[in-house]
Amino acid sequence: MNEVLHTTNLLIGYKGQALMPEINVSLNEGDIVALAGPNGSGKTTLFKTLSASIKSVDGEISLFGKKLQDYHPSERSSLFSLVLTEKPDDLFLKVFDIVAAGRYPHLGLLARLKTEDEQIIYDSLETVGIGHLTNRNFVSLSDGEQQKVMIAKALVQDTPLIFMDEPAAFLDYPSKIELVNIMHKLSREKKKTILFSSHDLDLLLRHADVMWVVAPHQPLRQGTPKELVEQGIIDDYFKPIIAKEEFFWMNSK
Amino acid sequence: MPTQSPNIEPRQTAPILLISIGIVAVGLLLFVMNLCFGSVSIPMKEIGAAVFGGEGSTYRAIILDYRLPQAITALLVGIGLSVSGLLMQTLFRNPLADPSLLGISSGSSLGVALVILLGTATGLSVNTLSLWSTFGVTVAAFVGAFAVLLLILALSSRLRSMVSLVLVGIMIAYIAGSVTDILKFFSQKEGLHSFVIWGMGSFSNVSKAQLPFFAIAVVAGAVASFLLFKTLNLLLLGERYAENLGVNIRRSSMLIILASGFLTALITAFCGPIAFLGLAVPHIARFLFKSSDHKLLIPASAFIGMDLALFCNLIARLPSFEGNLPINSVTALIGAPIVLWVIFHRQKVLK
Repeated sequence: MNEVLHTTNLLIGYKGQALMPEINVSLNEGDIVALAGPNGSGKTTLFKTLSASIKSVDGEISLFGKKLQDYHPSERSSLFSLVLTEKPDDLFLKVFDIVAAGRYPHLGLLARLKTEDEQIIYDSLETVGIGHLTNRNFVSLSDGEQQKVMIAKALVQDTPLIFMDEPAAFLDYPSKIELVNIMHKLSREKKKTILFSSHDLDLLLRHADVMWVVAPHQPLRQGTPKELVEQGIIDDYFKPIIAKEEFFWMNSK
Repeated sequence: MPTQSPNIEPRQTAPILLISIGIVAVGLLLFVMNLCFGSVSIPMKEIGAAVFGGEGSTYRAIILDYRLPQAITALLVGIGLSVSGLLMQTLFRNPLADPSLLGISSGSSLGVALVILLGTATGLSVNTLSLWSTFGVTVAAFVGAFAVLLLILALSSRLRSMVSLVLVGIMIAYIAGSVTDILKFFSQKEGLHSFVIWGMGSFSNVSKAQLPFFAIAVVAGAVASFLLFKTLNLLLLGERYAENLGVNIRRSSMLIILASGFLTALITAFCGPIAFLGLAVPHIARFLFKSSDHKLLIPASAFIGMDLALFCNLIARLPSFEGNLPINSVTALIGAPIVLWVIFHRQKVLK
């Protein structure tokens, strides 16, 4: 299997202060990898570090065999795309325009869409199942539909690697299932590598090929969901959350 | 057309060509009306004759020396401020941002206050040195505006967030405003009067000799802004998306501030602080074209701004008025309801 990304003794954090011990992980082509951990465990920091939004404290990130910081920002836009929790809020922003913006790195100075670019945009809309929303205003869509628009944007960007930050966070259950189906489709049919973060244990355990589990000041653990459950790591790392949920169940009875 | 499966809805846009022709036609009509109407009404059929034919006629003098430069100034101001306002609204992702947001027009007010008020205090009466003072005022406004612009650009590289940059701009505006007020307090009556008149804004301050320079500078600023349309479109998605799609946030923000600030500084220097055009016009453009694509919005704002400024200029000197109304009161009267409408419309859409 081809390696997409790996880290060597990576330290993440802010202002030279590392949040957790050194991280040595790797991503392989076509994998769906879940970055899991309770809130405040450093998920977002790791996410931002890997997607070149912030600098690492120390260590190295290698992307397709080259150091992340050695790529020019414009080269990075054809290597990985983002799906974030922050949403565009302009009232007149159309679904088509947002998805088309993902195509910009491939276009010339005047950003004129060629027929093949339009085809790619329509195909992506169809892949995520929102072909009927082309002309809708983005702000008028549901959370689930908005999430699909941003995934379509990532698709037209045509990158081998897609980072999704908490993609399931605001979705209702049916939308979560749809999201998972889309992720499988991208990974199996289009050979995309997906790294997504989540604190939703159920979604992670069912659908990730590989999990990276983090907790405050603990080392990152990498493995299949099955391995991690059997080694008791899920129990350890998610203890605060599981305890909270049990408390909730007891009180709701 | 790309091949499509039945469950794909093809892209539709507003009838761009039709709306554009409408806007340009309205602009031409307003331009001619600007030449015809005033304290002296000139019949439409005399316009051509007055411009191209008979030298020495009164009509020709009124049109060529007075109304034509004023109308051209108005349309240039409309273009510049509307484009500048659009840039500010997109950069700060705030629908109520306008060209004066970063304190640039306050800077030029301060510059003018220094020249007019200190000038009169030291005996250099503005009224007696009329020619020198018009030039002096323009230069002072220019220097004040560009001083603030440079300050903002220098600070923008140190500030991480756009919100802090806006706050810095507002504080600079306050400081410039309070120094201006102090100058006003110590100044004499005639200086104060000149300053108040300058603050009301005017399209008649640009002389025929200055007009070509003014026109080239405004058009250059607008074209430079247009070249930023890709960056502006990407910024609409949010900074992190824009960055991932290859936008250098810091450099782009500086370029946008530079383009927008240049237009604001230039126009304020020549015409005084003109309110509401830059705030209202981008909203009309978005609404008419149902779009937020800057490739369309920048030219659209420029042309709609041209129309609105010509309209305001016309209202300001309706034949029944003796002389001109202060242009700022007219732009506010027409611009403020548009902004009110925007606020209510937003509420409706966001629900």
